[in-house]
Amino acid sequence: MLFNSLSFVVFLVVVLALYYSKIFNWTNKKRILLFASYLFYGLWNPPLVILLWISTVVDWITGKKLATEENQRKRKLWLLLSMFVNLGFLTFFKYRDFLLDNFTTVVNAYGYGYNATPMDIILPMGISFYTFQTMSYTIDMYLKRTERAKTFLDFALYVTFFPQLVAGPIVRATDLISQFYEEKKATVNQFLWGLFLLTLGLFQKVVMADTMLSDTADKVYGADKVLNFWDAWMGTLAFSGQIFFDFAGYSTCAIGIALMLGIILPDNFRYPYGSLGFSDLWRRWHISLSSWLRDYLYIPLGGNRHGIVRMYAALMITMLLGGLWHGAAWTFIVWGGLHGTYLILERLQRQYVPFKITARNGIFLAFITFTFVNITWVFFRAREFKTAWNMLSSMLYMNPEGEKVIGSFDILKVSVIIGILFLCHWFMRNTSVEAVSKKISPIALAFVWASMFFLIAISQGSGEQFIYFQF
Amino acid sequence: MQLKQSLLMAIALSVISLGAWELYWRSQGKTPNLDDNKDLWAVQRAKGNKATADDVILTGSSRVLFDIQLNEWEKETGIRPIQLATAGASPLPIFSDIVNNTNFKGTVLVGVTPPLFFSTTYPLADPWYRAQNRTDYFQKRTYAQRFNHLLSIPLQKNLALISTSEEKWNDNFDLKTLINNIRIGERIPQEMPPFYRFDNIDLDRNVEMTPRTVNDTAFANTHKKVWGFFGKVSPPPDKKSTMDFFVNDAKKFMERGGKIILLRCPSTGGFRMGEKMVTPRAEFWDKLVDTLAVPSYHFEDYEPFKNLDCPEWSHLSAKDARFFTTELVKILKADGALTKSKTN
Repeated sequence: MLFNSLSFVVFLVVVLALYYSKIFNWTNKKRILLFASYLFYGLWNPPLVILLWISTVVDWITGKKLATEENQRKRKLWLLLSMFVNLGFLTFFKYRDFLLDNFTTVVNAYGYGYNATPMDIILPMGISFYTFQTMSYTIDMYLKRTERAKTFLDFALYVTFFPQLVAGPIVRATDLISQFYEEKKATVNQFLWGLFLLTLGLFQKVVMADTMLSDTADKVYGADKVLNFWDAWMGTLAFSGQIFFDFAGYSTCAIGIALMLGIILPDNFRYPYGSLGFSDLWRRWHISLSSWLRDYLYIPLGGNRHGIVRMYAALMITMLLGGLWHGAAWTFIVWGGLHGTYLILERLQRQYVPFKITARNGIFLAFITFTFVNITWVFFRAREFKTAWNMLSSMLYMNPEGEKVIGSFDILKVSVIIGILFLCHWFMRNTSVEAVSKKISPIALAFVWASMFFLIAISQGSGEQFIYFQF
Repeated sequence: MQLKQSLLMAIALSVISLGAWELYWRSQGKTPNLDDNKDLWAVQRAKGNKATADDVILTGSSRVLFDIQLNEWEKETGIRPIQLATAGASPLPIFSDIVNNTNFKGTVLVGVTPPLFFSTTYPLADPWYRAQNRTDYFQKRTYAQRFNHLLSIPLQKNLALISTSEEKWNDNFDLKTLINNIRIGERIPQEMPPFYRFDNIDLDRNVEMTPRTVNDTAFANTHKKVWGFFGKVSPPPDKKSTMDFFVNDAKKFMERGGKIILLRCPSTGGFRMGEKMVTPRAEFWDKLVDTLAVPSYHFEDYEPFKNLDCPEWSHLSAKDARFFTTELVKILKADGALTKSKTN
């Protein structure tokens, strides 16, 4: 089920009505939430709920054993079991065809003439998110960083909680399970703020991503031609805005819906396009994934504890795997590799060419960062390297005679939207929507709220899936 | 924060602004209309899985949609046909879907619009993709999508402002269309003349041409320009592969007891002229009829249909479509092409 659909509106109203009805006690309300979460997922593809169940049961049992088992070898085996199941699912459903394809290419390079048939398996929605979430629980249990979930119901709800099930934020057990122990009820202000965030998230997705930007990005990246400088840049900028509004929109909806239930989810985006450098970017973009990668990959790989070379290697491996997490294709790995390279270069700059960031050079640095982020989006959006190279060469003005595929109005539209987006992120980088809304009058807030709702209503959309669902 | 106050004001402002939006577009002559999208199609396609040997399925392109009126057909035969024709699409993928994915043994009427029927079997070509996309959607649609469609129907039927559509008509007034219609300068040439919606459709996918298309010649001319554009950009027909593909499925269908009726609906003016040049009857329609030897009806062969006029060269007005359907069913019954009729 998609947040931007009529069925979700009905679903949410029913869930809220049951959740706030006085006839159920807290345990039964949690059961209702759990059932609703399975329904939320199952209405897309019922059989794939079984994967969620398996993941839940395996990690519940693993957590239980890790809580009591003192033998280090046995503890490690339990952890490996959990990893095997979760990463096994991920490999089978997401990476099988990619691995097979690469295996075939390598084998055939030696003249074996191997011909494999891709299984073309359906990718379970949100599998990358919920497997990472459950793995964080078992790893934390193994490292004794978290308590075991008190009941199976609490744990199952942690794995399946519908607002963040399919596209995050990837929440740690310590942040979410404990919230299920005592009855939660949103205050009136929390409920209404949650509703505002839901409206804001839908506005970002339906109006900004799907209505204003997606067509331009699709037209440019689907052109299959060597393009003009302006077309290549505008298509990339449009995608840059589209993916931000799409994913941040989902996260904002998720946080808002959870808040309406009295559950607090962590921020996932903090104005990333106003970042000063790439370390800053990754503290602001998809925060729950970058902190996951830092805690469960970068630090275990050695982090910055074993010298510079090892640190850079750990950084690069983390970013390459982070790229692969986004999709089973070499273009995603290159995307991750570029980010890894940027992070390494940034650390070298800090070491050898340090300078102070001031209010004056800050926006310039943010602009440089944003420009380089856009270079990486080319690999993220292009389905093939050929497209990516063509786009990059056009963006570097190497194809002045390239074809024009978008009109002047598209150029104006994208420039204005992305310009405003960049400036918004720059000016908002040390504050929040909530803080700003507290400063403005209730009438101004009402006007903003109504405008967003009006634009959502007249956009309608055709229920486009969120981009991150495919990851 | 005084969120309660803000919410109440926001609700009031939203109701006022959306009410004004609805009234404005109604004052511009817009009325609520269903979207002929893949969901609406899939509901009809689902009926195909339960259809009996008495039932009739209609496939083809937009001419079958506009020209065959389900009410008239039902009045004449007692059976309401299942309308699966798809505008701008080749009927081949949908016919193939019926043959290969159902046990249907009734009658399939296949509308032959030569430039589309004989266009291609290439999966990514538009005429093929438009049809295949619908059959694929039917096979894969989720329960959530079915539920969304169900919930959207009352809104589509009652609110003119629900105007987004799969066809992306230029006179839609959802935000995306309004924005996409803005042009500054001539940086890129206009790809296609504006294409305006000219049908009303009901839940059974019974389509009627709008009165404006019949009465407003300038409006009808905009569609003639669109047909002219398609005529210019369409690749040459691929007779062999399309014929082979269809004949193969048709034989399979007839072997299990199914019946096929081929129908060539009227076209006029420049469209007809273009068809005569690109897909001449003797080389295309007649060859198909000779190969299959099934009941086949070309409008030129029947006196009552010869002089029917298509306001925009390709489809009949609602009034003429009712006449065409009634007369066609009489001919079919007289020929024994429609043997099963609930009124018999």
